[in-house]
Amino acid sequence: MNHKTIKRITGILLSVLLVCGTLAGCSGKEQEEISGSANKNTSGTNTKEEAGERAMGRFLEEEMDTGVVFGNIYDMKKLEDGTLRILGADGDNGQKGAWDSKDQGVSWEKAYDFPTELQDSDEGYMEYAALSSDGQAVCAYNQIQKGSGVLSVLYLLDKEGKGSRIDYTFPQSSGESSMAKSFVVSDDDLEGGPSEDTNEADAASEEDTENTGKSVSNLILGIQFLGNDQILAKDMSDTVYQISIADGSLKHTYEFDGSIDTHQVYVSGKKMLVFTSSEVLLYDTETGEQLPAEETLQKGTAESGRFQAMDSINEGESVYGLASGGLYHYKFGGSVMEQLIDGSMTSMGAPSFYPIALTMLDEQNLLVAANDGNSDSPTGIALLKYTYSADTPAKPDKELKVYSLYDNREMRQSISRFQKEHTDIYVNYQAAMSEENAVNVSDALKTLTTEIMAGKGPDLLILDGMPVKTYIEKGILKDVSSLIGKDGDYFEKILKAYQDEQGQICAAPARFMLPIAQAGSAYYTPGQDFDSLTENKGVFAGMEPKPVVEKFWYTCGAAWQKEDGTLDAAKITDFLTKLKNAYGEYENSMDDMDMTVGFTMDGNTEEIGKVSFSYGDFDLAFGRTNINIGLLGKLDYGMMSAVNKKLQDGDYGLMPGQAENVFVPSMIMGISSKSNQTETAEQFLTYLFSQESQKISQSGGLPVEKEAFRSVIDGHQYRDYESLVCVGSSGDNMDEVLDYAMSPTPEEEIKKFTDLAESLTTPALRDDVIKDVVSEQGEKVLKGEISPEEATDAIMQKVNIYLAE
Amino acid sequence: MGGIMKKPYRLTKARHAKIAFNHKSFHGFLWILPSLLGVLVFYLLPYADVVRRSFFGAVDNHFTGLDNYRVVLENTAFLLAVKNTLRFTIFCIPALILTALLCAVVLYRSKYGGIIKSAFLMPMALPAVSVALMWRLLFHSQGIVNQWLTHSSVSGTDWMNSENAFWILVGSYLWKNLGYDIVLWMAGLGGISQNIYEAARVDGAGEWQCFWKITLPNLRTSFYTITVLSFLNSFKVFREAYLVAGDYPHESIYMLQHLFNNWFRSFSFDKMAAAAVLESLVLLLLILLFQRTLEHSDN
Repeated sequence: MNHKTIKRITGILLSVLLVCGTLAGCSGKEQEEISGSANKNTSGTNTKEEAGERAMGRFLEEEMDTGVVFGNIYDMKKLEDGTLRILGADGDNGQKGAWDSKDQGVSWEKAYDFPTELQDSDEGYMEYAALSSDGQAVCAYNQIQKGSGVLSVLYLLDKEGKGSRIDYTFPQSSGESSMAKSFVVSDDDLEGGPSEDTNEADAASEEDTENTGKSVSNLILGIQFLGNDQILAKDMSDTVYQISIADGSLKHTYEFDGSIDTHQVYVSGKKMLVFTSSEVLLYDTETGEQLPAEETLQKGTAESGRFQAMDSINEGESVYGLASGGLYHYKFGGSVMEQLIDGSMTSMGAPSFYPIALTMLDEQNLLVAANDGNSDSPTGIALLKYTYSADTPAKPDKELKVYSLYDNREMRQSISRFQKEHTDIYVNYQAAMSEENAVNVSDALKTLTTEIMAGKGPDLLILDGMPVKTYIEKGILKDVSSLIGKDGDYFEKILKAYQDEQGQICAAPARFMLPIAQAGSAYYTPGQDFDSLTENKGVFAGMEPKPVVEKFWYTCGAAWQKEDGTLDAAKITDFLTKLKNAYGEYENSMDDMDMTVGFTMDGNTEEIGKVSFSYGDFDLAFGRTNINIGLLGKLDYGMMSAVNKKLQDGDYGLMPGQAENVFVPSMIMGISSKSNQTETAEQFLTYLFSQESQKISQSGGLPVEKEAFRSVIDGHQYRDYESLVCVGSSGDNMDEVLDYAMSPTPEEEIKKFTDLAESLTTPALRDDVIKDVVSEQGEKVLKGEISPEEATDAIMQKVNIYLAE
Repeated sequence: MGGIMKKPYRLTKARHAKIAFNHKSFHGFLWILPSLLGVLVFYLLPYADVVRRSFFGAVDNHFTGLDNYRVVLENTAFLLAVKNTLRFTIFCIPALILTALLCAVVLYRSKYGGIIKSAFLMPMALPAVSVALMWRLLFHSQGIVNQWLTHSSVSGTDWMNSENAFWILVGSYLWKNLGYDIVLWMAGLGGISQNIYEAARVDGAGEWQCFWKITLPNLRTSFYTITVLSFLNSFKVFREAYLVAGDYPHESIYMLQHLFNNWFRSFSFDKMAAAAVLESLVLLLLILLFQRTLEHSDN
């Protein structure tokens, strides 16, 4: 073979290689979906089959019908003799005690009642308790010292429930607590009532009870047994005390840098694990020294979220933890933290799921005690059993993809409930814009377009923030008129907000928000129109400019669109001029205003959007603003009436605007016309409009089904729990406290809200492109940087291009 | 007979030549086959699909005939984008080519030309995002430029939300591409033999005459390349405009790429396809016309 031939052959081979390489790069071999990771199992019992075959094995969830209604659960443990024990409170009478189960949690019998001195009374209340593996219990009891505050004391109960006080006094708290300063607290605890919230916020709330004449020097905010003879107790300043239960002697104290926020303290064998917001700290409890960090555990918890409940086996060599992503297993010194249960396929993934305790019965069975709004339990305290089933596919047969731009808690809750009833369907919910990814709306929509056109797009879309009308025009959405509005009594005008002339409904709001205004009679009277409201110079003084424009955009924007689709410049100028008049002069100091942080009833903090009605209630009540306007997605009637009372002549009604009777469609649902799971998508969509799903309320909007609407505004959950509630505000206004009775909404108020909802006829324009331009320019007008006319020109210029496209 | 004898001889020669030609061209074809396949798969076939789509609906794929073209040509956003793109090109290309030529001629004669040339290339090395951030800092309504102006007792303006945005974009394009064009011009200048200049100077030609009669005619090939490249680069300025002002910038800098970008987001593939076909035809026509003009002037 001569040189020339070799060169030719080499050339041809290289060419072929180049072509093959290029084509291989284009192959559609996508990475595997991570959602199927729940099939991993440390025990090796999972029957993951050969490549190409279907992976089998999954933990199945079952809610235990225990025959006992728990009002609360403090701790749950498998004792040395195999008995399962729960420390809790009876849901019927609030009596605190211990329950035992000899049959893996199927049935429970009362082991003993707590001594009388540990029951809630005027003398004090119990907040935390923990079990040891030999059946002892330690309780953190807050004694109310008449006139001098609250004192935390520790009680030890033996296996039979005989109590004695542990002789240890906690030092006064120093430094800042990691917990939030605002709170919701029920004083029922002080009166022996049944309110049993275990979360830290409640306990912390006692810190600020000056208005009730009490003060707190320190409180226990977490307690764990360390072996059978010591305990670990965390106080308000996040210091952890290692105390001997025999004589109350202090073995070690663990103090943390002020920059570290401790969240949860767990025990695994002789190790103490402290989960902070950013890392997992390990301590040797024998020496009190910090141990080197476990890299894998750090990385694993960074991805999965910190553990909310934990159990350990093999004398603390292996730990099982519940995090927002599901159940995880980690063996100390190991190189991997495995996900055993995918939270999104069980109740664990629901926003209302708060784990209290986790007990591993063995490697294939576990019990979880949780505060779960999804559960069948009337008190929300549920006991869930997870059993490994080797015959069940690791991932359900059908996968339904749901997509939204913003995270939707109602959707997560509905998915959790739906999957419970449909174990063969896996609902894969993706919210494109989260804190982790810095994607903007435009980029997210472009990615969505690509996926839909490639046939890999979602089956179901939450269209909030998307160009709904364009999608309908382009035929992206399927007609769903035959699916919705059949199983109940709906607010027809709202439900059919996107119905076209042929009667087709390609998008339908599963929820809506009410634009509401509330103020004293000097500034607002229900039924007032936009013109007369804005005639009052300075009525919006003290409010942040941008949210004001944005809120009124919802009630006015719907009136701007002309028949040819363009915007009416005269109306925009009129809108901005009147808004500026009502706003008055802008004060620069408002740029530094802190954002109000709201607290929901279960103590779960969430940042309330600035357009939300509840964002401004404290400002109105304490005179920083003259009026409160915003979108109401969840009714807190107690707070509204408290504000009215504080104002003395306060009242609320629909927010005025250039358009009348406007509602803001929310959770707008549509099925992709390119979906290849149409039947499943229809099934899930039907469920979303069913009464069961509609009754879910997570402040993302009010239900469009009337019975569910009533159910979420009537305050029925307070029927048997009427008590006094204090609500503090954040930032510099800690001394401002509104208190009101948590009681069911009066019938006449329910009727008023229902009538308001019935009167709504006009859907607000939900076009984020126009909204962003209007609020950007409107803000400049309110700040006095440009005139209304200049702002209108800028709006028209940009919006006209957008509309012309 | 002689004539009869000649004919087969001629035929045989021709056949040999043809066989040799076929053999050669087949080899040549084999060598360009990989890249041809690449062009076919990644350019020609997708382009053919775009042409097909321009006659069909966006999502439902029903045949619409020339409707998409009609809709596009009546679309005011499209007309505005075309107008702005043309305006930008008309201002930028001549300005860039002439400035770059001027700089290249000066630098070519300078002792430090090589170093200065590298400095001109620096903007090309900067990532578009950095440039965009710098723009924002400079030209925001409360940005650095306005602060300078305020210190000088001159009232500032919202640069990016006024007609000024267009001139900022032009400036940015010139700043970024000047170095590249200078390098290309200097390469062209380097290709001209010094003997020609020397001969001309012996004949009494001055600097201006040398430039006009020798330099410019000899840079004709470079001129074609530089013009086409500058033209194509002018489309890339969209990146900066998008990063600074988003999907909907001031109308003076709303370019065709903004429109395509927004159409893609709203599933307007039908309009996109029709507009893309129109744009490619216009571009092709312009390039061919330009080439033809150059060839004609050569002849």
